[in-house]
Amino acid sequence: MAGLELLSDQGYRVDGRRAGELRKIQARMGVFAQADGSAYIEQGNTKALAVVYGPHEIRGSRARALPDRALVNCQYSSATFSTGERKRRPHGDRKSCEMGLQLRQTFEAAILTQLHPRSQIDIYVQVLQADGGTYAACVNAATLAVLDAGIPMRDFVCACSAGFVDSTALADLSHVEEAAGGPQLALALLPASGQIALLEMDARLHEDHLEQVLEAAARAARDVHTLLDRVVRQHVREASILLGD
Amino acid sequence: MLQKREKVLLLRTFHGRTLRIVREHYLRPSVPCNSPLCPQPAACLNDGKLLSSDVTHYVIPDWKVVQDFLEILEFPELKGIIFMQTACQSVQHQRGRRQYNKLRNLLKDARHDCVLFANEFQQYCYLPRERGESMEKWQTRSIYNAAVWYYHHCQDRMPIVMVTEDEGAIQQYGSETEGVFVISFKNYLDNFWPDLEAAHELCDSILQSRQERENESQESRGKEYPEHLPLEVLEAGIKSGRYIQGILNVNKHRAQMEAFVRLQGASSKDSDLVSDILIHGMKARNRSIHGDVVAVELLPKNEWKGRTAALCENDSEDKASGESPSEPMPTGRVVGILQKNWRDYVVTFPSKEEVQSQGKNAQKIVVTPWDYRIPKIRISTQQAEALQDFRVVVRIDSWESTSVYPNGHFVRVLGRIRDLEGEIATILVENSISVVPFSEAQMCEMPVNTPESPWKVSPEEEKVRRDLRKTHLVFSIDPKGCEDVDDTLSVRTLNNGNLELGVHIADVTYFVAPNSYTDIEARTRATTCYLADRRYDMLPSILSAGLCSLLGGVDRYAVSVMWELDKTSYEIKKVWYGRTIIRSTYKLFYEAAQELLDGNVSVIDDIPEFKDLDEKSRQAKLEELVWAIGKLTDIARHIRAKRDHCGALELEGVEVRVQLDEKKNIHDLIPKQPLEVHETVAECMILANHWVAKKILETFPHQALLRRHPPPHQEFFSELRECAKAKGFSIDTRSNKTLADSLDNANDPSDPIVNKLLRSMATQAMSNALYFSTGSCAEEEFHHYGLALDKYTHFTSPIRRYSDIIVHRLLMAAVSKENKMEIKENLFNHKDLEELCRHINNRNRAAQHSQKQSTELFQCMYFKDRDPETEERCISDGVIYSIRTNGVLVFIPRFGIKGAAYLKNKDGLVISCGPDSLSEWKPGSLQRFQNKITSTTTGGDSVTFHLFDHVTVRISVQASRCHSDTIRLEIISNKPYMTADTELSHHGPLLLKSELVKEVTRSVEEAQLAQEGKVNTIQEEYEEYCQTKGRSLYMLLEEIRDLALLDVSSSDRM
Repeated sequence: MAGLELLSDQGYRVDGRRAGELRKIQARMGVFAQADGSAYIEQGNTKALAVVYGPHEIRGSRARALPDRALVNCQYSSATFSTGERKRRPHGDRKSCEMGLQLRQTFEAAILTQLHPRSQIDIYVQVLQADGGTYAACVNAATLAVLDAGIPMRDFVCACSAGFVDSTALADLSHVEEAAGGPQLALALLPASGQIALLEMDARLHEDHLEQVLEAAARAARDVHTLLDRVVRQHVREASILLGD
Repeated sequence: MLQKREKVLLLRTFHGRTLRIVREHYLRPSVPCNSPLCPQPAACLNDGKLLSSDVTHYVIPDWKVVQDFLEILEFPELKGIIFMQTACQSVQHQRGRRQYNKLRNLLKDARHDCVLFANEFQQYCYLPRERGESMEKWQTRSIYNAAVWYYHHCQDRMPIVMVTEDEGAIQQYGSETEGVFVISFKNYLDNFWPDLEAAHELCDSILQSRQERENESQESRGKEYPEHLPLEVLEAGIKSGRYIQGILNVNKHRAQMEAFVRLQGASSKDSDLVSDILIHGMKARNRSIHGDVVAVELLPKNEWKGRTAALCENDSEDKASGESPSEPMPTGRVVGILQKNWRDYVVTFPSKEEVQSQGKNAQKIVVTPWDYRIPKIRISTQQAEALQDFRVVVRIDSWESTSVYPNGHFVRVLGRIRDLEGEIATILVENSISVVPFSEAQMCEMPVNTPESPWKVSPEEEKVRRDLRKTHLVFSIDPKGCEDVDDTLSVRTLNNGNLELGVHIADVTYFVAPNSYTDIEARTRATTCYLADRRYDMLPSILSAGLCSLLGGVDRYAVSVMWELDKTSYEIKKVWYGRTIIRSTYKLFYEAAQELLDGNVSVIDDIPEFKDLDEKSRQAKLEELVWAIGKLTDIARHIRAKRDHCGALELEGVEVRVQLDEKKNIHDLIPKQPLEVHETVAECMILANHWVAKKILETFPHQALLRRHPPPHQEFFSELRECAKAKGFSIDTRSNKTLADSLDNANDPSDPIVNKLLRSMATQAMSNALYFSTGSCAEEEFHHYGLALDKYTHFTSPIRRYSDIIVHRLLMAAVSKENKMEIKENLFNHKDLEELCRHINNRNRAAQHSQKQSTELFQCMYFKDRDPETEERCISDGVIYSIRTNGVLVFIPRFGIKGAAYLKNKDGLVISCGPDSLSEWKPGSLQRFQNKITSTTTGGDSVTFHLFDHVTVRISVQASRCHSDTIRLEIISNKPYMTADTELSHHGPLLLKSELVKEVTRSVEEAQLAQEGKVNTIQEEYEEYCQTKGRSLYMLLEEIRDLALLDVSSSDRM
């Protein structure tokens, strides 16, 4: 069997999207009552759940408290059934540690932490189904959850991945496209200011093409922002109707 | 708005478990339908190529039809073909990359009236596969459903024919929708294309071979070959180092027994194998065919075999077994084929007697390919009788493990055996060169140039181009009778005393727009193909011999490179690139230019431009021209000296020109003569190429097309060093500089042939020069070894080479970028350019192969009609240049022929030379040493042949029915050959010392050459039959180099 053709001559990707198109995004806020904020997102077949507690007093060692701002604590985990083959994923393995750190960096840049000195904000993200772009789904879910918790942020954080195949930049990679092993770029963007909260890249990419890929990822992130904004407004409208009654 | 669906796939993992995979599948309301009948072309986003509007129906092939009959769908007569995505994917998954790429190229090619419809991404066409439905049924159902949608989409205005091989589908869908017909492919051809003979034949032959295959697989007799391993196992094995990947190269001279696998890619790095791997016998070769990429497993060391160093012919398979082979080398067996490299093969049917001996199954016939390296092919046809005396093209379909021979099918007839046209067509097909005449669409793009409305320089162009018509003396130097002049030269003194040297190249890109039909065609051809007696142009002749040819006395567009040189040191001060208008004043030929350079002005009578002038102005003009040529030569010498200093090589090869008489019979073979003016022109061209390479690389560091010549592997030089040692010379091959110097020193004053042979051996040891895209390798690798330049490209012959067209476009883009203008040319990106370079390199190689083969063909035809026993021409002087266990390889300088001469004949007799030095066959034995071979008869006489000895050989032709004829050499005397008259004048030279003998031979040769020169001038009327092969010595050297390198026998270098 010949290898998969990631981008056909007619410009279609394996799943029928064109190069710049996103997968279908569905999201809900406030899925759990116990937590301060929670959200669920589906980006294609990638499904993630995010829960936020805080800001609250520092738990555990007091020494970790920061005098001028809040501590952001992120934890990532993925379900045993999230991939094609069932596999136990213990807490604290390299991959989830790394992902936790990346989420923390992303949200420290976005949350106005200086408003809550000596306190802590916890963000827990769980991936229920992984089909490519897990980082992006986690960031987007966490953004909604943080908004749900009412923690002040500079802006939405919107993330999207992008790849590079046959000198074309592909937005929002699926698992099949990621598995092909080409360069892959993850971008978290603050859309209003256009500032980059996090940028990460796997594999090698010639610097001449970087701009093109970055541009594709940024455009996709802005598209994500439009969708998330719609979800938030919908949620607020529903909540206010309930309150009004 | 996209709609999301989910597809569930069940895959089997590497460990054999089933894996359930869910993939998304997005549908959209509109995908491009590419039909001119589309009611909302804007909604459909129809860009790219559309189906033509003058068809009577659209035809939609089913997946099975696309898989099996793609060859017929490729016919340009079939129009309005819609390939459904479902069908394309089934080709991709089930037929492999090669066929899928063929389909992709077909879809991309603007000349074919076919489009792809992405039915699986269309909301209304997509049908999910139902539970329990077989893949085949689902594919047919999807395609039918899409066909119906398409019919309604075009508002029922165009009937659609779906062709399928599935009887059930014809039954089920045949009358379901009005306007959408479902019929079988055979039926379709019969009804719609009854006149398309070729398609019918091909269809029959495909059907028949498929049937045979089915029957056979049912029979399943004893296996002839072990099964191939599955691809995953091969890939894993190659990664782990258990198997080795490489390209199979069959030894032309022992096709039955020996093949070699040249290592490829990473596998050669970690294993410590340096040499090729020997594959001994057909069993071990396991159904792989010459050129395939195979995976090989090494055999244990005790089973290793050596290659045979004896000369032998193909028909005597096991004869060599008695000989003691050389030392054992790594030996392996093929375990799987990674990539098949099948193409069209030219074959010959067995003669009548042989057919009868083949026995009962008269329908199946084993045919013999023209190429020795290809195994016999079994085809089934009823036309065997009728096709007896023809060369025929076949394709291989499959090779089951139960079958000794591969199965194939008949495609078309080329021509009669031994007929010149048939044989030339054979050579072309074997090298995959297509020579169809230019189509009407391409001719329509050509500018008009008729006597009624001659082509003129347009005023707009006059404004943007620099006009050199008044200011510069431009002239061209080419071989006599040359039609396609693509380079001209100019030199003048500037006001500040400096010199200005100009090279002006025909502006082909002005006439050939990117992606026009002409451009696509030229890209496919990639090069003009020169055969011994004709040529196949890359561009239509209106351009190549007309508007692009820089003829004398007419206005032409050109692309110029002009240097300002210091008046004394010739240092380059400034360089200018750009488009110009020129008018060439003189169209000189080499011989005349050389005469002018030597101060011999009597040749002006041969130059037409001087004819109509009065004495005085003629004198002035002549002086001007002579000055220019003299100055040019001076500059060229200077540049050459600088390049020599860096180690430029001068390589040798003998090129022979075929002279035909009025009846197109071969009249004579004439070796070409080098002149100094050849070198002058060549040097200017090299300079231009070098500077253009610099310019485009500077502007486009990642997507410039350059040419590199990688440094050779030292181990290939060992034969050269050994040979030189035999003559007492030492060759230092460490760098190109030392090699050039030591080759210059290795000159035997008594025998110039020795130096020539050493040079040609050096050439053989080198690798090929290649085109490449600068993005694909590091800057150190750009070096051109042979010319000793750090950057080099081809710029000077855009009429004959597509690479030069690309370079022209790059240069023009670079110039406009420099002037801050926008770049109009749409340039290739790195990846496309790399792909294109590979294509051009392949095409060049094919063109050179075919040129060499056609020269050999003519050589054979020249000697065929002569009786070797009586004709004096057939006896010639030869030089031994290599020693084998049962014979020697001989080079004949007179004809430029290389061939084998046996010292031991088929009856086991060896050669012996009596006191009169004439040879006889006697029983005896041979003994081979490193630099000599001794033949001893039982009587005790012995004769020894050393490397570089001159011998007299008789040339004869060995006719062959299925293959090309070959030249046979027979040593008839161990003394150099002398013509009758010199023998008279030097009576008794046999007693003289060998030094003197050699001196005599040389003078004889010179006399011979002079004689030919005379013949040449007498027979000037024959000039019109000569081709314009190689317009300068530089080109000639390039060609020779590649020719020598590409010697097919070099693959079995011993």
